[in-house]
Amino acid sequence: MGRQTLKERIPAFASVIGLGVLIAAYYIIGAVRDANVEYGLKAIVNQSVVVALVATGAVFIYTLGSVDISLGAATGVSALLGAMTYNATGSLWLMFFTCVGVALAIGIINSSLASVFNLPIFVTTVAMMSVLSAFMLILIGLNGKGDTIKVKARDVRPLDTIEIKVGILLAYIALCWFIFTLLPTGREAKFIGGNPLCAFLSGINEKKLAVIASLVSAVGIGLGAFLSIVYAPTLNRNTASSIGMDVIIAIVFGGMPVSGGPRSRILAAVVGAFSMGFLSQIMSMLNLGSGYGQMIKAAIFLLVVFIALGSRRGKLLTR
Amino acid sequence: MKQPSWLKKLLLSLLIPIAVFAVLEIIALVKGVRLFAGEDSWKLFFRAVANVTLTTFALSINLDSGRFDFSLGAVSMLSATVAGTLAQEWGIGPWPTLAIAVVAAALLGLFHGGVYVLTRIPPIIVSLGMTLFYEGCAFAFTGGKGVSLVTRTDIIGFSTIFNYILLTAIAVVAVIILFDNTRFGANYRALLSGQKIAVETGIREKGNALGCYAVSGALMGVVGFISLANTGSQQLSLNFGSIGIMFTAFLPMFIGGWIGRYINKRVGIMLGAVSMALISLAFARFDTASSVQSIISALLLVLFLIYLNNEFAILSKFRKKQKVSEK
Repeated sequence: MGRQTLKERIPAFASVIGLGVLIAAYYIIGAVRDANVEYGLKAIVNQSVVVALVATGAVFIYTLGSVDISLGAATGVSALLGAMTYNATGSLWLMFFTCVGVALAIGIINSSLASVFNLPIFVTTVAMMSVLSAFMLILIGLNGKGDTIKVKARDVRPLDTIEIKVGILLAYIALCWFIFTLLPTGREAKFIGGNPLCAFLSGINEKKLAVIASLVSAVGIGLGAFLSIVYAPTLNRNTASSIGMDVIIAIVFGGMPVSGGPRSRILAAVVGAFSMGFLSQIMSMLNLGSGYGQMIKAAIFLLVVFIALGSRRGKLLTR
Repeated sequence: MKQPSWLKKLLLSLLIPIAVFAVLEIIALVKGVRLFAGEDSWKLFFRAVANVTLTTFALSINLDSGRFDFSLGAVSMLSATVAGTLAQEWGIGPWPTLAIAVVAAALLGLFHGGVYVLTRIPPIIVSLGMTLFYEGCAFAFTGGKGVSLVTRTDIIGFSTIFNYILLTAIAVVAVIILFDNTRFGANYRALLSGQKIAVETGIREKGNALGCYAVSGALMGVVGFISLANTGSQQLSLNFGSIGIMFTAFLPMFIGGWIGRYINKRVGIMLGAVSMALISLAFARFDTASSVQSIISALLLVLFLIYLNNEFAILSKFRKKQKVSEK
């Protein structure tokens, strides 16, 4: 096999190049428009960290070739129960452990349904999303204080720093990278995503990996829920509602195929989440309005995915 | 293997809707409520049948071919927004407005299909991009205000039981003819069961995929118009706020697949939609909270899927028990 040409290499780095272009565009537009770039960067980190945490964990699920759209609702329920725990006990540690514990419990239910009853994971997560969204309404109703559940902002303000958020994200990425790259788990997951039949015949236990993937992902959901409370301590039925879809976008934006398999990468989620954060901030600086901003975001998303696909296009239409 | 008689097939086809009706009637009797009380109940029922049948057709056309489509709700929303805005500006009646919604939605579907065919990006990802794009279009088109037709009594007056039945019947017949009795349908089925062989035998996959997206879009145009005429307005949503409509179609799609073993699959989907419409009516008549509705619907979906995915094991156990009791 000969050395790859530059043209062949570009798709592999399209997502990273895309992030670089977006960062450059952010600074250029910021300078031209005389915008507060520092403040904008904080907003980007705040927006992107939660998506990056949830998406990094979700890479394990997506690597197996599964799609989970209940991640947003799971984050929302974990955050609501975490906030209720804090209001009842006044302990930030208990709030933290509740967020992670609830997310783990949801992950166990999801993976059990899929592996014990042989259900397709995607449809299971559709059902879970409905149940969890409804559960959020019930929790807010139980709280009996209007349409929101609040944690006093001053109580969580000491944790609302970029250093803590980035620190948590880096620690979680390191954990995921270790499991994904240095343990057999990641290799086996890629094998299943690439060729499930061959993986099965090689003796790889898909059910066990599905449970591991759900649990690793649940830790990211729990951390995301905790940081959601820290950033926006007034929670409502829409808390984290868009995360499920944002995660898919982030993973794809980061250059990972949604079908999983051998090209799955842990860092794809982080690259994608921050690309989306920069893109949203650029749209805000350009003051295009919500409608046009979203149209341009969609077009750029499709363009990046198109470039990242490179020459991996067969004669048949992809399914 | 012995094939069941036509009577048995018919009875099995009607089993789920009849069972659902019977269970709901018993609950209604216990609660002292009438399931069908007055015209409003019938209207609610037939509107749900129309909406769910058309949405399920739109979802299953592409999903059966492995093309997942998140953009159904966005197509419905944007086509209704365009049709409603033009109805307001041109002062046209309900049928021309419906025609505009259908044509606009078919074009949106065609554009979606075009992006998919040209870029070869996996369909689920294209649909994510198109959802964002169409939601943004609807927002930009009306400046975020949406459409209000509350003063247009002619369009609101379209929401009659007769029209709901008519639209459902037309859609069912059209989809059956198109997918079961035309060359397009034969090619669709060939591609569905063996993509590679079908393409190698000369079937034009791209044209077929474009057709599927256009038909799916057109069906969502009707759904969008039904919603517009019913509420007299079209609310807008961004950031994937439009995808919820798609999730109502999963249970009827799986029920339709099961009924499709005994009768035409499209009729099966309609019977699945009838079952769902009965449940929706019951929710309304029993004054069920929306959170409880979501949980019950999700549980029904999971239970039905558990049965479908473990049918052989369940039936084997059942038959074993039957044999033991016979001995």
